[in-house]
Amino acid sequence: MKEGEKNIKAEDISYIEKMCADTWKSLYRFIYFKVQNREEAEDITQETYCKAILYMKKSNVRIDKSMGFLKTVSLNILRDRWRKSKRQGKTVNFDDINPEMTAIEDYTENIAQREIIQNALKILNKDQRTVIELRILKGCSVADTARLMNKKESTIRVMQYRSLQALNKIIKEKH
Amino acid sequence: MNENEKKLSDYIDSLNKEKKPREHENMTEAPEMEELFKTVRLVRSLKEPSLPEDEYGEKLAEAAGNRLLYIKNSRKKRKKWLLTIASAAAVALIIILNLTLPFGRNNMTYAMEKAFEEVKAYHGFLEIVEINGAGKSIMQSKMEVWADREGRYYVKGLDGPQKNLITVNNGQNKWQIQPEQKEVNIFSAFPDSYSFTFEIGKEIDDVKNALKTKIIGDGTISGRSATIMEVTPQGGSPYKIWVDKDTKMPLQKQTSMENSIQYKMYYTSIGFTNSIPKKLLSYTLPEGFKEIDTNSQQIVGSLEDAKKITGFTPKVPKNIPASFTQDNITVASDSKVVKILYISMDNKNKVEILQKKSSSEFKPVSTAVIGRINNSAAEIQSPVQNEVGILQGIDSYAGSTDINSVRWQLNGFEYAVVGNLSLEELKLFIKDLTNGIVDLPSSKRGNLAKPEVKVPVDLKIEQAEQKNADRGHSPWKLDPVFTSQVFVSLKISPEGIQGDYPIKYEELNVLKNTGIDAVVEVGGKNTPIRKVYLKKLIRQDSTGIWTVVGYDPT
Repeated sequence: MKEGEKNIKAEDISYIEKMCADTWKSLYRFIYFKVQNREEAEDITQETYCKAILYMKKSNVRIDKSMGFLKTVSLNILRDRWRKSKRQGKTVNFDDINPEMTAIEDYTENIAQREIIQNALKILNKDQRTVIELRILKGCSVADTARLMNKKESTIRVMQYRSLQALNKIIKEKH
Repeated sequence: MNENEKKLSDYIDSLNKEKKPREHENMTEAPEMEELFKTVRLVRSLKEPSLPEDEYGEKLAEAAGNRLLYIKNSRKKRKKWLLTIASAAAVALIIILNLTLPFGRNNMTYAMEKAFEEVKAYHGFLEIVEINGAGKSIMQSKMEVWADREGRYYVKGLDGPQKNLITVNNGQNKWQIQPEQKEVNIFSAFPDSYSFTFEIGKEIDDVKNALKTKIIGDGTISGRSATIMEVTPQGGSPYKIWVDKDTKMPLQKQTSMENSIQYKMYYTSIGFTNSIPKKLLSYTLPEGFKEIDTNSQQIVGSLEDAKKITGFTPKVPKNIPASFTQDNITVASDSKVVKILYISMDNKNKVEILQKKSSSEFKPVSTAVIGRINNSAAEIQSPVQNEVGILQGIDSYAGSTDINSVRWQLNGFEYAVVGNLSLEELKLFIKDLTNGIVDLPSSKRGNLAKPEVKVPVDLKIEQAEQKNADRGHSPWKLDPVFTSQVFVSLKISPEGIQGDYPIKYEELNVLKNTGIDAVVEVGGKNTPIRKVYLKKLIRQDSTGIWTVVGYDPT
């Protein structure tokens, strides 16, 4: 983040429009990567811009390299929500994040992580892999997955639970 | 299956539906469950994200721009130290609204709202049936409907009295092709007091703004499984809607039985598309047809051009909300009214600023709330019910339930700001136009002065009167002046009124009207009452009846 030469003026709406137009897709993808659902990603993206604009106005600065700044703001919003849950005495393990590092990385392009997950999936047995592919990657319902795998719905729920346990263990070991 | 297996399965289902899982709202799970949720998200990250609609980026800029404008306006009026508090409160409000409001609403209403956000346009076939007290159904009309989120539509009658009638609003113009008369009537595109019955976006808005909604069961509509919801609107009787379980769209509506008649309207088929076909929204005069332009307004290129026609330079607000842009300037050739139209970036909201040289004494309509602008009386109609003064003969405002207006006179000119925005939002335009104090009464204000003589009220009778008014009977009860006229006349002639009222309507004058309380002054010599005090006891909106609660004797 760098303080620019000019202060933001009230009529400088075009700057905001340009910033949103230039950055929203990348920012949205970044947030979506964390939360994995459109509803929440849209909400946090909007909140991020509101907070960012407020900060810029309050501090009388214009933000260069705004993508990194916006990512940091969005991570802070996410972290605030997690902290709130922690204050209630609950354990939250969304992700372990170094915000500054994360802000300059693009998770959607994080090939190393994709490879780890893909390799971990290969280690699962066929049924475990299939249930994860159908339920999570293809977005099938439990009923459809049961039909496709010729199993009962209750079996699918048990299978997906155990498959994800196994996958989690593999990923942890690989890390 | 244990509870954790079900939780994990539900979590996956939420993400598959692109919905925020309950667990993200309140993370109260054991660490091992959090690990599994994280693993689900990691696997899911192999997929391409689900992107919002293209307009999402524009909406973001609009929201952010509004924030900036809000801060600027706050600074103008308040001390600097207050800004942080106000801004923080506003940000908190935005966050609360964004994050918590949807969860507080009825789930089905919220589901409809969210589902409609995904819809860009739709095409359906609509049927309207009348059902009489004996249960006999009579088909009233069938029509083909195209509509989009920006309020544009194309409606063609397929059967019934409106067979072959085509009505189109493309956002710029509205026209109606009447094949039998071989005529095409041209109207102003905004305000559009009537689009078509059972427009889905409007139905969802009505449900959102309803007093009460209740799921009352399941049913089917055109072979589709539906949830039946009872909706109690702000004004009028409860009605039912059938919400398609699959698309979450309301596909059928049934009014309550009024005077042994009820109406049922339903889509026999509906499809969702990206847009209305361009050829349906483009205007061409069919061969052999006559064009009748009911719009006497001409578009001018600049304020200078407007001045040449009207003889005065129209005032223009300098700081309109950032989400609005000026669209066009028109001048009504006969009344010399200048109209400046502003349109929001999403094309959904429109505001008109009307101005002309004052030609008569300012008298607010009797049903209006009275406010003050620069210490002069201002007529506030929410919604517009009567078009008088500058509102007369410009566009057809009355009849639209979402159009509000503020009208006033100042320094020899008459002004009105009209639009499908709340009064608070219209106030932003007015303030900038007048550079003075704008006081639009809030319905939350306390009571006015107390009457010398109280009039006892029977609430049961008033509730029955309200139902009568909802059915279209005794419309005079909606007018505080008319209600006062009847009350005073009956005081003069307790045996009943025969012939003309002993007190003329023109002899009564609204002193105060907050929309809930009103005081009407009675003029003339032959009156035993000088002031009448009224209140909206049953419903506090434009559909609520007035009740006399007291008076001051002469």
